[in-house]
Amino acid sequence: MESSTRPAPKDTGLSPGTRSSMLGLMLIAPTVLVFCAVIVYPLISAIYLSLFSIYTPTMEGDWAGLSNYKVLIQSGEFWRSFGNNLVWTVGTLTLQIVFGILVALVLHQNLWFRSLARSLVLFPYFLSTVVAVLVWRWLFNDLYGVLNHFLMWTRIIDMPIDWLGTMPNAMISMILVGAWKYFPFVVIAVLARLQTIPDELYEAATIDGAGPVARFRDITLPQLREVLVVIILLRTIWDFKEFDLIYLLTGGGPVISTQTLPLMVYKEAFALNQMGSASAVAVMMMLFMLVFMFFYLRKAED
Amino acid sequence: MSGISVQGVSKSFGDVQAVQAMDLEVAEGEFVSILGPSGCGKTTLLRMLAGLEFPTEGQISIGGQVVNDKSPADRDIAMVFQSYALYPHMTVAGNIEYPLKKRKVPKAEREERIRQAAAMLKLEDLLGRKPRELSGGQQQRVALGRAVVRDPAVFLMDEPLSNLDAKLRSHMRAELIQLHRRIGRTMIYVTHDQLEAMTMSDRIAIMHEGALQQLATPKEVYARPANAFVAGFIGMPPMNLVDAKLDGDGNLSVFGRQYRFVASDGPGHSGEQTVKVGFRPEDVVLRDDGEAARVAIVEPTGHEVIVVFEIDSARIVGRVSPELDLKADDQVRLAPRVERIHVFSGTDGDRLGGVHSEG
Repeated sequence: MESSTRPAPKDTGLSPGTRSSMLGLMLIAPTVLVFCAVIVYPLISAIYLSLFSIYTPTMEGDWAGLSNYKVLIQSGEFWRSFGNNLVWTVGTLTLQIVFGILVALVLHQNLWFRSLARSLVLFPYFLSTVVAVLVWRWLFNDLYGVLNHFLMWTRIIDMPIDWLGTMPNAMISMILVGAWKYFPFVVIAVLARLQTIPDELYEAATIDGAGPVARFRDITLPQLREVLVVIILLRTIWDFKEFDLIYLLTGGGPVISTQTLPLMVYKEAFALNQMGSASAVAVMMMLFMLVFMFFYLRKAED
Repeated sequence: MSGISVQGVSKSFGDVQAVQAMDLEVAEGEFVSILGPSGCGKTTLLRMLAGLEFPTEGQISIGGQVVNDKSPADRDIAMVFQSYALYPHMTVAGNIEYPLKKRKVPKAEREERIRQAAAMLKLEDLLGRKPRELSGGQQQRVALGRAVVRDPAVFLMDEPLSNLDAKLRSHMRAELIQLHRRIGRTMIYVTHDQLEAMTMSDRIAIMHEGALQQLATPKEVYARPANAFVAGFIGMPPMNLVDAKLDGDGNLSVFGRQYRFVASDGPGHSGEQTVKVGFRPEDVVLRDDGEAARVAIVEPTGHEVIVVFEIDSARIVGRVSPELDLKADDQVRLAPRVERIHVFSGTDGDRLGGVHSEG
């Protein structure tokens, strides 16, 4: 018989299975704690606050039940902001995707200035929103803006246009600036995917009789599908809750023509000092996003 | 008429000459392998036939028509890629259907032809699957199916079996031979594996450094290599090549032994020169009046034994019967079989001839 020199495991009175699940719990605990502190707690407190009528400077107020929500659902401003939010998100996202793919396709070609262009294209994405918006406001300015000056000089228009102070110009300007600022994200993600598509697929398709358009439709687009699903998901979330760009460019105006839900949250909370009703708008926003993500991800899985 | 004619074709990428002044005539229905080591230009040649690369010089004709300026789609060729290049998001049926769809073949006919191709390649049960759900061998058959379904004049294959394991490879070799026999189309098959080239081809084109070395039947390539490169490339293990002296009277001296040179199947010689003498491992025989040699390495393979002999510092590989029971450090006497000695030029390696007799 062989004698074992290995020390016997310490008898803790626990079975090996229980011990390994305890270890698992210990390893996951820090993540769970941080997650609770920065996500679960704010979420629950937002829902909780939305049930009170709270004066922001004192953060005190009375139980209101669901009346904040009732008022919201009956208010034209809330639905108007929601509509603006949809127009802004769909508009700017569509342009981001279209420009992003086009520019990525161009940068995927063997151009002599390719590496320089690949760095330059990231510029709008790197730029601080405040700086970018100040530049655009200067370009758009109806009195001394370069854009109006140029259009009048080339005789395309004969009167200056108010780009940010009237509708639908303000919304269009906002969508364009958003597309300009965020399309580099799409370029980078699409370009990374394009570089992994094997050349043989294009060669096989060429031999099979596919022209350039058919090759794009039958090879490139299906290969981009997965990355586009992720891009659209992320950019929808980010564009839907975009605050600084809109706040700085139009401030939601004229009146509330370009006011989106995040701007309404800000206005309720800090301009009107209604923290409860601001929380209710924020909770509604979250519900819209959840519904969108639910249907989108289910469809994307097919 | 769907033979191939390559006339004086060269291709360079910048300073790199990938293919130089290549001439190649392939008859209709012939199976020709292009064989050579990595970087010899064989794939570039195939891609020029396909129209994926364009020759810097020369002319390529398929079926009697010059195709230099024709796009790949208009050349009536199909190509099977080393990586298979199956369209990942399409089913097996979709992959096979794609070339027909792009050529606007009516739907009913498309379905009939997919069915025929699937039956020929035993793909019927896989038609609804995606490429990633298939094994390597199945993917290979789908790639063949996509080529077969169009019934092109010429099949171009770029190392199609190199991603398969050894057992599957020998199985697919047999299937490819059968396929060729059945459809009788011209096939150009690029490979670095001499076994594939030897077993499947009607003729083999051996390339080295962008140039054609020999174009002949497998038997001919083995029995009468056109130069020292072909001699050293074909055969497992390859031919032994040793330096020797040939004097002006045609006397050849190998390991101190005299032979009479004969230009039976070569251009002959002029004056005294150094040559390379070649003989295959199976033509090394042990005989009492042979050269003294030491057994250095013994590699039994079962039905035969590969032995590395040392004569002074030269290494000679022999293929002998296991019954001899040789062991490392044994002392033996050996000589090449006289009628199987090849003589190549010592300078450019071209075949000069053979030897006639000893003495």
